[in-house]
Amino acid sequence: MITAGIDMGTQSVKVAILKDGEILSSGFTFCGFKPKEAAEQAFKEALRKANLSFDNVEHVTATGAGADKAINFDSTISMMGADAQAGAYFFPSARTIIDVGAEEARAVSCDENGNMLNFVLNSRCAAGAGTFIEAMARALEVKLEELGPLSLKAEKASPINASCVIFAESDVVSLIHRQESKPEIARAIYDAMADRISSMVRRLGIKPHVALIGGVAKDVGFVTSLKRKLGTELLIPKEPVFGGSVGAALTAAKRIG
Amino acid sequence: MATEFEGKIKSTPEMSPKEIEEMRSTMESVSRKVIAENIERMKKTWPNRPKTMQYFDEISNFFGKRLEEIRAQKEADKKIIGYSCMFAPIELILAADAIPVRIDSGWYDAAKLGDTIVAVEVCPVIRSTIGTQMVNLSPYLELSDAIIISLTCDGRTKLSEILRDDKTVWTMCPPRMKDSPHSRKLWVEEVKAIKEKIEDLTGTEITRKRLRSAIELTQRASKAFRRFQKIRKGNPVIMGRDAMLVNQTSMWDDIKRWTQKTEELCDELKNRIAQKKWACPPDTPRVMVTGTPMIWPDSWKIPNLIEEANPQGVLVVDELCSGDRLLYDPVGVDEWTMSDMMDAVAERYLLASTCPCFTSEHGNDDRINWLLDRIKEYRVDGVIYYVLRGCILYAMEYARIKRILESIDVPVYYLDTEYTREDVGQMKTRVEAFLEMLETRVAL
Repeated sequence: MITAGIDMGTQSVKVAILKDGEILSSGFTFCGFKPKEAAEQAFKEALRKANLSFDNVEHVTATGAGADKAINFDSTISMMGADAQAGAYFFPSARTIIDVGAEEARAVSCDENGNMLNFVLNSRCAAGAGTFIEAMARALEVKLEELGPLSLKAEKASPINASCVIFAESDVVSLIHRQESKPEIARAIYDAMADRISSMVRRLGIKPHVALIGGVAKDVGFVTSLKRKLGTELLIPKEPVFGGSVGAALTAAKRIG
Repeated sequence: MATEFEGKIKSTPEMSPKEIEEMRSTMESVSRKVIAENIERMKKTWPNRPKTMQYFDEISNFFGKRLEEIRAQKEADKKIIGYSCMFAPIELILAADAIPVRIDSGWYDAAKLGDTIVAVEVCPVIRSTIGTQMVNLSPYLELSDAIIISLTCDGRTKLSEILRDDKTVWTMCPPRMKDSPHSRKLWVEEVKAIKEKIEDLTGTEITRKRLRSAIELTQRASKAFRRFQKIRKGNPVIMGRDAMLVNQTSMWDDIKRWTQKTEELCDELKNRIAQKKWACPPDTPRVMVTGTPMIWPDSWKIPNLIEEANPQGVLVVDELCSGDRLLYDPVGVDEWTMSDMMDAVAERYLLASTCPCFTSEHGNDDRINWLLDRIKEYRVDGVIYYVLRGCILYAMEYARIKRILESIDVPVYYLDTEYTREDVGQMKTRVEAFLEMLETRVAL
């Protein structure tokens, strides 16, 4: 049984192809202004890697903020529903799944079968998500991938206001003016973001084990801060960015089931 | 004591009649469109919608038949008494042969205008009501000879001052604790004071006979209202949005005619139950909403999402002062004496209210009991706790209600929103994920 999941994120499209519960391949494209074309490209990439044609795929489930703009899909699932599926798939012991993407952070509690039991989302502000890190890296004039390692060199933490990207940026500018070191500012940025996400997860309740998926799970600076704020270990799959698409592909398999 | 600025400096700035008219006509045309669209959407979701609903559709148009009627009655020297909040004793208004109309605003565009007067942290119902007043968007507010504002929350308290810029405003002050004898006494006095004001304005003395027939009128309305809500306990024979529309039209329709039409609708729904003709599949997740009012037409935003979602939900019951709470509690009269009737009218408003502006030694126990009873009686699968940002009272009560509902294994989702159309996508994500969760639970 071959199924596919397509995750139409705010910044990128991810596709995962599954065969009998095993991940065969994945595809990734930045959205740009043409989500449908990006979806097609990501889909083709995944099919090519798996050496399949579209006809081999029995059911496609779409998820993500732009799920309705996906192509060739048979059904949809909410992002949180897909998170729960993916979390339980990667880590059968996981009961709390945190997903941090470009524009949104969310947390889901689930049972052992990946059924969503409850969920929370950050309140319509990108200060708790990947876009925030990008904006802050720009403000610090460092490359995005360098910001995380840089933050680990910090000796102390300086608090900043992360209620909103714009306020945070002005706080960062004043830290720069105070000539705080870049590592400390970097750490402050991750701490602020982790603070917001941890209070969101606490509203849901932290049931161990806790898994982290979504593109931002690749950022060592964020992961370190979040572990510290939550006071718990985080289970992270090898390719966390494909979490949503894997969850959708698993849903597809359940639906033909 | 009045300051030297009284009558000279208002809360709202002066606007030229031309500017007012331009804004009003733009907002009115948007509103007409939203009303028509909402009705179309309800029809689409429920293709075999009963014909009787046409009546309520017609009354729901703020710029239609009902407005013409009210205008004509005003020309014939009847007084129009507007009210904000459900604490205005409509029996007294009816007894003085005046027309009660609720003027709390459900217009999103008017809230944007209100933003220019008060900060965005203020509840959008209040900001929007200010906006409607500024450009005369609400014909009912415009036609009102006096407005009764109950000082239930902070927003309404200060709204009374701002509306006084252009209107005669009468305030009523309910106590924050309703279960002590002196609280009740205060409220009865407030009701008596408003009676005198109504009599002065209308020039009609509210006699024992007049009050009795007004009470009997609302008692019949309550009876129809209860019958209607009871029908919703079983398999879904009416969609929630349609039921909400029926409920809300009672706030400005002729109450006698509304009662008759609601009874007619109930008769039709009874037939449908006999034929097992459901409005949606009986296993559709049954949703309850509780929280801040959802006022026609723009605040159909969330109900539209729930009943058009994939997976679909059906609103079977609510705990809203714009919904199932409206006429639920009848005036309970022991003896038809003037003082008994006045006490009974006062009690219907105070004791029955589940508004979070009240507290007691047991917290807002009346609201909690209402929720628990309805969840059981209406076989509710999940609760959407709806909060308009700026409503501190509903936001704060969530802390405990959430834990209570969780303790009885009823999923509850806190949905906070604004008077805006721009967050529909984000709201949809949340509503659909919640319904997906309920669907899985129902299937299990």
